[in-house]
Amino acid sequence: MSALLIAGTAQRFGFLDDFAVREIRRGLLKALAVPGYQVPYASREMPIARGFGTGGMQITLAIATPLDRLKVIDQGADDSVNAVSLRRFITAACPGLATTTRTAEATLIQTRHRVPERALTAGQTMVYQVPYPDPLQIVEPSERKRRLAHAHGDYARLWVKLYEDVVRFREVSISNRYPARVAGRYVIDPSPIPRWDLPKLHRSPVAHLFGAGREKKLYAVPPFTDVEPLAFDDVPFAVEAFRDAAGARRRCARCGAGDTYLDQIPQPDGGDRWQCNDQDRCAERMEER
Amino acid sequence: MIDRIQDGPVIEAQGLTRIHGRGCPDCVRLTGDVHGRNVCPACGSVVAVAEVSFRLWPGEILGVMGESGSGKSSVVRLLHLDDRPSAGTVRFRESHGRAHDLASIDEAEARRLRDTRFGMVHQNPHLGLNFGVSAGGNIAERLLCCGERRFHAIREAALGLLDRTEVPRARIDHQPGQFSGGMQQRLQIARALAPNPELLLLDEVTTGLDLSVQARILDLILSIQRDLGVAMVVVTHDLGVVRLLAGRTMVLRHGRVVESGLTDQILEDPQHPYTQQLVMSAL
Repeated sequence: MSALLIAGTAQRFGFLDDFAVREIRRGLLKALAVPGYQVPYASREMPIARGFGTGGMQITLAIATPLDRLKVIDQGADDSVNAVSLRRFITAACPGLATTTRTAEATLIQTRHRVPERALTAGQTMVYQVPYPDPLQIVEPSERKRRLAHAHGDYARLWVKLYEDVVRFREVSISNRYPARVAGRYVIDPSPIPRWDLPKLHRSPVAHLFGAGREKKLYAVPPFTDVEPLAFDDVPFAVEAFRDAAGARRRCARCGAGDTYLDQIPQPDGGDRWQCNDQDRCAERMEER
Repeated sequence: MIDRIQDGPVIEAQGLTRIHGRGCPDCVRLTGDVHGRNVCPACGSVVAVAEVSFRLWPGEILGVMGESGSGKSSVVRLLHLDDRPSAGTVRFRESHGRAHDLASIDEAEARRLRDTRFGMVHQNPHLGLNFGVSAGGNIAERLLCCGERRFHAIREAALGLLDRTEVPRARIDHQPGQFSGGMQQRLQIARALAPNPELLLLDEVTTGLDLSVQARILDLILSIQRDLGVAMVVVTHDLGVVRLLAGRTMVLRHGRVVESGLTDQILEDPQHPYTQQLVMSAL
């Protein structure tokens, strides 16, 4: 791989040096070859603090090209402080890289907490900022034991967590980071995306790349791969219902959508306003109307 | 190494030896009951057990008796695959005939056997129970290891095991920390029985419990052996426990078997001076 330099400077396109890019790309290839397996890598120091999306940003910088069109979202919003800061840094480090807020137009989507509501299409790539890559972390503090459990496919303690939830709450209470088995083998922590988004990973036409900068791990869900949430046979997995007191499905107060993930926004009068979490999809629907 | 044999002992140990340390060719020769030590004078290694051989037949209870440091728990750790022998073989035969050499088994298969074929009850409940989840969760973990994925079936099975071990059904959602010592041991037994094990290992299960609770636990173990026919290894330093439970007994000292045979015979007519001393002191 030859270095791609920014015209008229000695600065490399994408901020990272050649060795870092090569290592991250190799790590991603391994992650795609073994779906769900956590590939360790030497996470680089970035000009933002660990925990603010350095894992996802390193993946984006390692795979972005000047031909890409980038979308950065944070909890469904394109204009949050985190999303704006990340986008600004990435575009400064990658001159020529176009940006967009439209999911349909993007080829590279870096995200925290959400998968866009609009169906993804072949040719796009999802990059996730992951705080905790290991689903076993909530039940096993020892990393050595966690690695052995992954190697042996032993997720019994994770299942016990689901059992305890069903006993206490009559349903699984995990609202995000819901553990899912990839390609029938490894169980992953699908970053902090809500349960609502998990079915979108199942046999998705795009590659989903996960980067945990602080924990120094990469993992991936390749296109058209089975992603099955852990669930008991007689207590099936269910996404958020967003129902009101009468049992009716709530709708977005802005676009009227009844099939999207909604944010609950408290109002001064004591009531709540419900609206789409995915700003782009909401705006798109309003334009369509 | 895996092969198939139709009938035979559940466990067949030959020359089981575990040396902690770098070891030397003289470790076994210079230690043992004859020398009155289990630390090798040549290299300083600890010979936890050496040249231990025995057979355990289906439905049988084997007592392993000895003083502290004699190697009782080392034998159990080797059988439960928590440790690997330095020399010797341990053949474990599953009920359908598949046999394994536990000395050379790989880690994944060891985990499978531990999860689905063995049951272990520790002296210290903190080693055998997860105090962060409920009693039902502790039992559920073993069932989930065996591939059960139906919540209600797990719940029913857990209640059945609590009935079997005389833990009140109403306590199923309580955490083990809320249980008494005797009830924690019964919960450990329930958890150990969950996958219908073919080998149950009991390491000083009644130590530290008062006499009435000890008696109930021992009665429970006997009834399990009678009803389920599971083979058991009972480790204890209490003569009363082996007298009540074990058909055959093996006496260890300084990591060596100094006497073994029918329990009645050993207790009525001990041959080795240590066993004689043990029986005399108990009487």
